[in-house]
Amino acid sequence: MEIPDTYYSKDEYVETASGNKVSRHTVLCGSQNIVLNGKVIVQSGAIIRGDLANVRTGRYCVISKNSVIRPPYKQFSKGIAFFPMHIGDHVYIGEGAVVSAANVGSFVYIGKNAIIGRRCTLKDCCVIEDGAVLPPETTVSSYMRYTAKGTIEGGQGNPYFVPAAMQDEMVNYTKSFYEHFVRTPAPAS
Amino acid sequence: MPVENNVKILPKSVVCEESTLRGDITFSAGCVVHPSATIIAEAGPIIIGENCIVEEYATIAHRLADGASYDTNNILSIGSHNVFEVGCTVEAARIGDKNVFESKSFVGRGVTVSSGCVIGAGIQMRTAQLMPENTIVYGQQALQREAIEKQGSQTLQIDFLRKVLPNYHHLRKPNYDPKKARSVI
Repeated sequence: MEIPDTYYSKDEYVETASGNKVSRHTVLCGSQNIVLNGKVIVQSGAIIRGDLANVRTGRYCVISKNSVIRPPYKQFSKGIAFFPMHIGDHVYIGEGAVVSAANVGSFVYIGKNAIIGRRCTLKDCCVIEDGAVLPPETTVSSYMRYTAKGTIEGGQGNPYFVPAAMQDEMVNYTKSFYEHFVRTPAPAS
Repeated sequence: MPVENNVKILPKSVVCEESTLRGDITFSAGCVVHPSATIIAEAGPIIIGENCIVEEYATIAHRLADGASYDTNNILSIGSHNVFEVGCTVEAARIGDKNVFESKSFVGRGVTVSSGCVIGAGIQMRTAQLMPENTIVYGQQALQREAIEKQGSQTLQIDFLRKVLPNYHHLRKPNYDPKKARSVI
């Protein structure tokens, strides 16, 4: 399935040498602690809290509008610590999602307005439905789908919840999202 | 809108400049306000107690009732040690101490939150009610029960944030010192 082109204005987005497209209307705190590994799209209104701890994302990630990427913290007897956060390749994070996971694997799909609690682990190729709420310290293993109802479905090679070709689907989806996220052509004068 | 911004920040609180503050707002000592938090005092002043945390996209609003106008005596008082997590919207009538409003929760007008309450992630509370102390609202059906154990305190997090945030953000300067104010009078 082909994704229609999404246009952005030249003034709004900054394109880096490694192909990251970052909106100017984002709040990237502590930008020296944020590593975007190339071809990552960060849309307007997204917040990445690099000031709390390091944030690393892989290639071809999409961080949609108004989502918040916030490293998780853990409370110890003496003070608290924020942990660095790793996001794999080809990860899609939907609009308005709040991600406080410790680890997000590759080829993960996070739906709109999902809330990923503190220190969750999302393994490769899992799906988080729109509006799902993951309690803190949840693990979602590979090929599992966390539903909005709060159940974890799939696994054991069951293709009804997560497609068996999840990896390829996410590669295609994020790549074509990147390729169809294009600058508005200059008006022909 | 006739209301002018009048933000009082007491010493030791950390209020990021990128937050949206509208109206008459007082931050007591030790508050932490993250960037892109929103606090709107439309119907009257908001007074926020000590050591509260307001995270990104959290909205605390003191909204005008229909046909009402700004009233300086209509104060929204928020107690101490409250945590407003990412994306929550709070329009409650009164808020006590040590409450936690988790991510994307919504507390509507007419709700009175006492102390030690936890509103779980994504829960919407719209009907007018009084929440007894230590109530926890949780799960898909927004079930309520009393907390078995007390909430841990957030002082450690506040200490950490107070150390870290000034390194990365422009802060609004504390502009009100109760000791000095007294000597002026």
